[in-house]
Amino acid sequence: MIGPSFIFLFALTAYPLYFSIKNAFRYWNLQTSPIPLQYIGLDNFKNVFAYTPFFASLRNTLIISFGGLIIELSLGFIIALALSARLKYVNIVRALLIMPVTIAPVIVGFMFRFMYWDIVGLIPWLANTIHFPQPDAGYLGSPITVLPALMLPDIWQWTPFFALVLYAAILGVPHEIIEAAKVDGASPVRIVRSVILPTIKPVIVVVGLLQLMRLFNTFDLVYVLTNGGPGDYSRTLSFSLFREGLINFNIGVAAAMTIIILLILNVIVFAYSKLFMKGTKL
Amino acid sequence: MKNVLLKKTGISLFLISIMVFFIGPIVWFFALAIRPPETAFQNPPSLFFKPTLDSLKYVFVSPGDSLPQLFNSILISFGTILINLPLSFFAAYALSRYAIRGKSAIMGWYLGLLMGPAVVFLIPYFILINNIGLSGTRLSIILVLQLVTIPFSIWLLKSFIDDLPVEIEEAAQIDGAGTLKILSAITLPLCRPGVIVTMMFAFVFAWNNVLFPIILANAESATIQIGVFSYFTSSGVQWGQIAACATAAMLLPMIIFLALDKFVVRGLTFGSVKG
Repeated sequence: MIGPSFIFLFALTAYPLYFSIKNAFRYWNLQTSPIPLQYIGLDNFKNVFAYTPFFASLRNTLIISFGGLIIELSLGFIIALALSARLKYVNIVRALLIMPVTIAPVIVGFMFRFMYWDIVGLIPWLANTIHFPQPDAGYLGSPITVLPALMLPDIWQWTPFFALVLYAAILGVPHEIIEAAKVDGASPVRIVRSVILPTIKPVIVVVGLLQLMRLFNTFDLVYVLTNGGPGDYSRTLSFSLFREGLINFNIGVAAAMTIIILLILNVIVFAYSKLFMKGTKL
Repeated sequence: MKNVLLKKTGISLFLISIMVFFIGPIVWFFALAIRPPETAFQNPPSLFFKPTLDSLKYVFVSPGDSLPQLFNSILISFGTILINLPLSFFAAYALSRYAIRGKSAIMGWYLGLLMGPAVVFLIPYFILINNIGLSGTRLSIILVLQLVTIPFSIWLLKSFIDDLPVEIEEAAQIDGAGTLKILSAITLPLCRPGVIVTMMFAFVFAWNNVLFPIILANAESATIQIGVFSYFTSSGVQWGQIAACATAAMLLPMIIFLALDKFVVRGLTFGSVKG
C-alpha cells in the first residue's frame, strides 16, 4: 500500500540527486549549451569556493538559523507562559496569534518591504520618532543592519508558532505537579525552570529542529527584501544556489554547491540529534 | 487578592502589546489596499483616510490580471490535494499499521524532503520539465508540489490513524473483511476529521508555495502569489496594487487556519505535537 507513494516520491527524490551528482563533475552552463559538456573533475567544487560568495552565504545562513531559532524560541516561550495564565480572552488571542504563520513568506517580505520603505515607511518613521539610530542607507541597505532587518520578518512570522506550540505543551503539564511545587513553596521562576521546562523539553527539541531546518533554507525573504545585498551581506545558501543555477545558469557549479549544502545540513542535523535528541522519539 | 489583580493586569498589558506587534503589520498592510495612494507614506502615518476601491479594481477588474491568477492558485492547490490524498492515505495507513522494514528511515526521509532546501530540487526539475515539454503548465507545478505535500500528509495522517483503536479493524478482519473493505468501511470514516484537516493543511502549503511556481509557471499559469511581483515594476512600485493582490492571497489561508482552530499546532508540527 505504501508502494505507489513510495515509488513516486523515490522518483521525485532520486532524479535531482542523480542529476546533481552527475553534473557536479561536468562543465555545464545552460546559456552556452543545452546539455552537459566535458567531465572536469573537481573544478566545480573549487569554483564554488573561488567564484561564488559561499562563505559569506554560509555565515549569514548560520547567523539567521541559530540567531532566529534562539530569539523565536525564547520569545515564544515567554508568550506561551503569559497565555497559560488562562485569562478569559486567551482563546481569541490564540486564534489571532496564528495569523502571521498563515501568510506566505513572500507576502511577509512585501509587508516588511513596505514598512521598511526608504525614509517614509513605518519602521524608519518609528525609529526616527524614538531616536533609534538608523543608517543612511536604511536598515536593509547597510551591511551592519541588513541581517537583523532580514531576521525581523521571520521572527515576526514564526514566534507565534513557538508560542502556540509551547502553550499547548504547557497545558499538557500535569496540574498536580505544579500545585505540589506551589505547596512546597517554589517560586514561579523555580516552577518554570524545574517543572515546566523539563516536562516540555521533548517538544522544544522537536519543533526546534523543524524550525532550524526551515531557517537554514531561508530564501523567500531574501528574494523579496534584499536580493542578497548590499554586496553579499544578506545572501543565504539557498539564495546563492538559486542565483548560481537559475540566474547565472551555471548548472555544474550549482550541482556542486547542492552537494556541499546537503552535506552541511546533514552534519547539523546529526549534531543536533546527538546533542539534544537522545531518547527523544519524533 | 490585590496581587492577583496586579498580575492579571500585567499579563493583559503584555498580551495586548504582543497583539499590536503581531497583528498590527497585517492590519497596516490590509489598510494599504484601500488607501488613497497619496496617504501611503505620510509622516506621521495617517491612521484615518477615505477608503477607495481603486487598487482592488485595478488588480481584479481591469487592467490587472489577478483574477485568472487567483483561479490558477485554486486550481493548482486543489489539483495538488487531489493527487495527494489517495497516495498519502494508503501510505500513512501502511506505516501506521504494519511492521515495515526500515520504517523509521522512511519517515526520516519524508521529513528530510519536507524540511530540506527546496531550491536543491528546483534546478533539476526546471531542466527536466523543460526537456519533457511540460514547462509552464499547471500540471508540472502540481506534480512538483507533491514532493513537499505528500511527506507532510503522510506524517500528519499517520498520527491520526495511530490514534484509532486497532481492535475494530481486527474484529472486522476476523469477520472475514478484506483490507480494502476495512479501509473503506471502517478506517476512512473513522479518520474523516483527520483526512479533512490534513487536506486543508496541504491546500495551504500548496497555496503558499512560491518557490516552484516562480520558476515553473509562465504568464498563463502564474499563481496569485506570483502576481504580486508584477506590480513591482521598474517604473515604480505600486504599493496599493501590491497590497490589493496580496490581500487576496492572504485571505484564504487565514480563513482555513481559523477553521482548523484546535488542529493548528498538530498540523504545523506534522502530527508530532498534539495540541
